[in-house]
Amino acid sequence: MAHVLQIEDLCRRFGALTALDHLTFEVPAGQVVGFLGPNGAGKTTTMRAIFDLTDLEAGTITWNGSVVGQAERRRFGYMPEERGLYPSMLVGEQLQYLGRLHGMTAADALAASTSWLERLGIADRAGSKVEALSHGNQQRVQLVAALLHGPELLVLDEPLAGLDPSGIDVIGEVLAEQARSGCCVLFSSHQLDQVEDLCESVVIIDNGHLVVTGRVDELASSGPRRLVVRVEGDRSASWAEGIAGVTVSEVTGGEVRLVLDAGVDSDAILELARGAGRVTEFVFERRRLSELFREAVK
Amino acid sequence: MKFTLIALAVVVVATLRISRRRRRRRTGARAARSVSSRLSSDVGLIMAREVRERFRGRVFKVTTLFILIVVAAAIVIPVLHNGKAKPQEVGIVGTLSSPLRATVTSSAKSADVTVHFVPESSVKKAKSDLHSGRINVAIVDGGELLVTSPLSSADNSSGAQLVRSVAENLGVAKAFQAAQLSPAQSETLKGAKALPIASVEVGKKNPGGGNTNEATSLIGIILIFVMLNQYNTWILMGVMEEKSSRVIEVLLSAVRPIQLLTGKVLGIGLVALAQASLIVAFALVLSKAVGSTLLHGSAPLVVVSTLVWLVLGYAFYCWVYAAAGSMVERQDQVQSLVLPLSLPMIFGYIMALTGASSGSPGALLKVLAYLPPTAPFAMPVLVGFRAVTWWEFLGSATISVVCTIGIARVATTVYRRAILRTGGRVQLRAVFMRTAR
Repeated sequence: MAHVLQIEDLCRRFGALTALDHLTFEVPAGQVVGFLGPNGAGKTTTMRAIFDLTDLEAGTITWNGSVVGQAERRRFGYMPEERGLYPSMLVGEQLQYLGRLHGMTAADALAASTSWLERLGIADRAGSKVEALSHGNQQRVQLVAALLHGPELLVLDEPLAGLDPSGIDVIGEVLAEQARSGCCVLFSSHQLDQVEDLCESVVIIDNGHLVVTGRVDELASSGPRRLVVRVEGDRSASWAEGIAGVTVSEVTGGEVRLVLDAGVDSDAILELARGAGRVTEFVFERRRLSELFREAVK
Repeated sequence: MKFTLIALAVVVVATLRISRRRRRRRTGARAARSVSSRLSSDVGLIMAREVRERFRGRVFKVTTLFILIVVAAAIVIPVLHNGKAKPQEVGIVGTLSSPLRATVTSSAKSADVTVHFVPESSVKKAKSDLHSGRINVAIVDGGELLVTSPLSSADNSSGAQLVRSVAENLGVAKAFQAAQLSPAQSETLKGAKALPIASVEVGKKNPGGGNTNEATSLIGIILIFVMLNQYNTWILMGVMEEKSSRVIEVLLSAVRPIQLLTGKVLGIGLVALAQASLIVAFALVLSKAVGSTLLHGSAPLVVVSTLVWLVLGYAFYCWVYAAAGSMVERQDQVQSLVLPLSLPMIFGYIMALTGASSGSPGALLKVLAYLPPTAPFAMPVLVGFRAVTWWEFLGSATISVVCTIGIARVATTVYRRAILRTGGRVQLRAVFMRTAR
């Protein structure tokens, strides 16, 4: 049976602040799900709630239909926003200890930690203290701690923060690989371009409630069609003004972005553009995730 | 040692019972049994990590070495001092017959000192030598003793014991001479012993060795104070570091707070017990090797009592310090917590030291021996004075264990609710609000 994490109707207040306001969504297996929202939207509170690290006023979190308990959480992997490792403990020993707390045998924990450290290129630091590692390498160790025991659900809070491009690539590969192997992957980030590249689906929340969720492809192609047109020598794009069912979204450097209502014939627009001069660009554009995000949380 | 193991077992069982009861509430008895081995395995893992990390730490090595050096000094220095004790200088004014000199010598032997006779030409010269410290005591014509200052009844120094013994024995010897007894009659009278006294009720005994027990008690309560401070600080700092480094979130995503806390408390407790056992074993071996009287008589009972109360004291205070550690996340916040937490310990320690030094336990010390925060210091002193029966000792230990279970329950609640609250020192009132994390 494919795994699924269901978040249903979560509510949480911190004094006068509403952190979670009847939040509901689900994380299916086999996909990398990006968890987005502006600062203070409730992402970290939601992730902490999955691991019973914060109290809830209402709502349930289920795993494959059953309420999440200690036994389920032991099969999950978690990378908190504020990284957490024993600073003066050796990397290898620390990973084996955390693996064993998740139910691994000593031999399995040793083999898995060795393998993951090699995979992330820090095998030579197994005998170092965590505090002696660079920020990026500490982040890699933290990721290994979440992956070590082969979790069924991976919850990563800002895993890309502070990483260089090669680190982001490695983590992206690992997350995609985990999703392909049947793991549910939920991760939050503010780096929307990276999220768009890594994720099949996104969940966008604001002020503690869900505003958008769905597959990235579908969301990008949903809504009104968007057309980019460039006419040689025409920088004002005055030809596009006043067309019925067409809104001029943006004009920059002779390039005009148009939003078309349903039923508007794009051939008619092409003819109007040709009337203004030689058309050098005429393409339908997908919505970027960043645009989708801004629209959702404005 | 037997008492120590029993006490440790009681604390472990009590802790596991709290953990088991909470688990049963959530998942039912059957499910609880099925995960029982998993939970104890987690506690074992956490405990093993604590033991390993503490044994490796420089603080443990340095502290153990320091305590061993202090204990060695406490055992060896008195032995060396006794071995090099100067003979007591006894001035003789006029004459002192050979039998009476022999009486003085044997009196000195019973006071565990040696004597050296110094002829004095006159009483005036003897007084002058007493003032200058050249002689310790003068015997005038075999009928009077001169000393520098009056002897108090509380003065138990070897010099005072010598003077009392010589005065008594010379008086008896002179009485024998005056009665013109034959040597055989004199010997018979010298061998006279008091009749044994039997009582119909069991009373408190106070046999010889009181000074030894007193010294052992003093060393014991100093050790308890030093070790309780050290290990409770480890608990407090360990909990605070897990909170401030945020590793707590990773740990609690896999184990329950009660497991984490129990593993930490038991791990550090085992290190404390191992260190205390090492110190006691070292003291026993060294004491035997150098012929010290520090562990003679009933002193071993005081040692066992000290170990028992070290364990009970640790069990009581460790929960308090763990709960306190969960409420702070910075060093400066720790400072403001440590003093109020230490006050009961400091009070018990000072009262116990005063009681042990005074020569007899007061009523306040007897009351403190039944209060769990102060009993670890007061009760070993009462044992040293043989001023407590076995059932009184057991009663105090039972009160301590029962209170420890209560404290542990409150502390785990505080820990569970405070450990994940960050951003400043957590107030107790906030901890007990309905939604605390």
